[in-house]
Amino acid sequence: MKKIKGVAGETVMLVLCAFMLIPFYYLVVNTFKTPKEMTASPLALPVSITFENYAKAFDNMDFIRSFSNSVLITVVSVFLIVILGAMAAYPIARRKHKIYKGLLMYFLLGYMVPAQTIMIPLYLLLQKIHLLNNVAGLILVYASWCNFAMFLYQGFFKGLPTDIEEAAMIDGCNPWKCFWRVVLPLLKPITTTIIIFEVMWVWNDFLYPYLFLSSNKSFTLVMQVYKGVGQFSNDWSMMLSTMVLVLVPVVIFYLIMQKHIVAGITSGAVKG
Amino acid sequence: MRLKKELPYLGFVFPAFVVYTLLVMYPLLQAVGLSFTDWKGVTFENLHFVGLKNYIDVFKDKQIVMSITNTIKYALAVPIAITVLAIPLSSVLNSKMRTRNLQRAAFFFPSVPSALVLGFLWSYIMSPLDYGLLNRFVAKFGLKPVLWLADPKMAMVSVIAVTVWSQLGWHACIYLAQLQSISSDLYEAARIDGASTLQLFFKVTIPQLKPAMVTSVMLLMISSLKVFDLPFALTGGGPGYATTMISQVIIERGFVDKMYGRSMASAIVFFIFVALITVLQQKAGAEKE
Repeated sequence: MKKIKGVAGETVMLVLCAFMLIPFYYLVVNTFKTPKEMTASPLALPVSITFENYAKAFDNMDFIRSFSNSVLITVVSVFLIVILGAMAAYPIARRKHKIYKGLLMYFLLGYMVPAQTIMIPLYLLLQKIHLLNNVAGLILVYASWCNFAMFLYQGFFKGLPTDIEEAAMIDGCNPWKCFWRVVLPLLKPITTTIIIFEVMWVWNDFLYPYLFLSSNKSFTLVMQVYKGVGQFSNDWSMMLSTMVLVLVPVVIFYLIMQKHIVAGITSGAVKG
Repeated sequence: MRLKKELPYLGFVFPAFVVYTLLVMYPLLQAVGLSFTDWKGVTFENLHFVGLKNYIDVFKDKQIVMSITNTIKYALAVPIAITVLAIPLSSVLNSKMRTRNLQRAAFFFPSVPSALVLGFLWSYIMSPLDYGLLNRFVAKFGLKPVLWLADPKMAMVSVIAVTVWSQLGWHACIYLAQLQSISSDLYEAARIDGASTLQLFFKVTIPQLKPAMVTSVMLLMISSLKVFDLPFALTGGGPGYATTMISQVIIERGFVDKMYGRSMASAIVFFIFVALITVLQQKAGAEKE
């Protein structure tokens, strides 16, 4: 009896899972069809497998260039976020002088500032320093998210014993060397978590590229989807193919990092 | 001067301090400042202090008021719906089913892609045209087609539903972590006292999940208040202004209508709102500990 109930429960859950994933099936299956086939029966398997839509979408969205832009922006931004955040967190968590309490409060203030509140002044600033419509400008803006990383690092420091650092100092290690050689390696678990989530946020972000990038040359992958909507309003299979091409890299990243992602959420370190 | 001893350490904070000050705090102060002026863009000549005029205009601007109402509705509905669904889901995902890892992955997956892409994808699925999957499904049950995105009330429901679909698995994961930390002794003791499965769920599981609930609900509230990509892609804020959120209106008033003062004033109102909720979150979090 219990076994039957178990099987029934499992079947119900698997049906629900299928419902969760149908949108992705719909997305992928229709990239192999003509708009006419898609209209006739959106969920049917394609009559013949053709990669023509993908080839066209690949060229049209300048995939290599957009992909490189996304990679460049994500890698450099996340690198800066991690380094700036970890460096700032080190004295804030470890030194006793009260100036660090003030600094912590100052950085925490930014926690409450939504991107939307400061976007117009940021636009002005980028314009003034001639970094509008420039990948470097966008990277600079993302790097300012380092206060989030700083906060996570300083929380992590609290659970880290100080004896290793103290021993290194007694052995004559200066603070700079001590940080790079001793402290940074100890931060590895939280660094992994921060890198994974920041990569997903920066990679998927639309608001900032939408506001600060204006030419195809500097577009990210997500921006290409936005551009495609205006362009392919009647060619659905092209639009869907563009979307699939944009999804592939982040899905691969997710599949590789799946374990760390779940661990990151469950450790409570990541605040969505 | 003890501060002198701190100099090498302050060097560690310096780069983050500069970047953060230049790109977060300085723009914030500028936004506050400009929200009290009649600034018309381009140059800062001919700038006049206008007091609270922009703030009064914000609340007179029907579209801004509507977007604030929409955002509040959305930021209440999304956390409630997700909490109600994620808690039972997490306890099912915590059971010993053979395919449970597959199930967890399936529910989590929609939170991976960018919200913009998900929004566009659903705009196809909810389309009134023949490829609109959802209406075909509805027709199978002999029901009339639904205007998922064209009817103002329904459009808001659709935006909320797609958000729930995409975020549910992520938040079930937060609850799952908490569930795994509940000691099995609690369940055994309750069972010995004769508690039924349903009683176990409501009397043991739910109270034990409270810390996870604080985290999840606050995360959802803040991210729902800030939402932009998903409604922008799914409905474009329409029909009319039925699903326009505050973020979109700030952008429109600023970048499109060039009403910078009003745009900035609504951005500051928005900031105060988010800040209040964040402070509440910190308080609730502190109580948790």
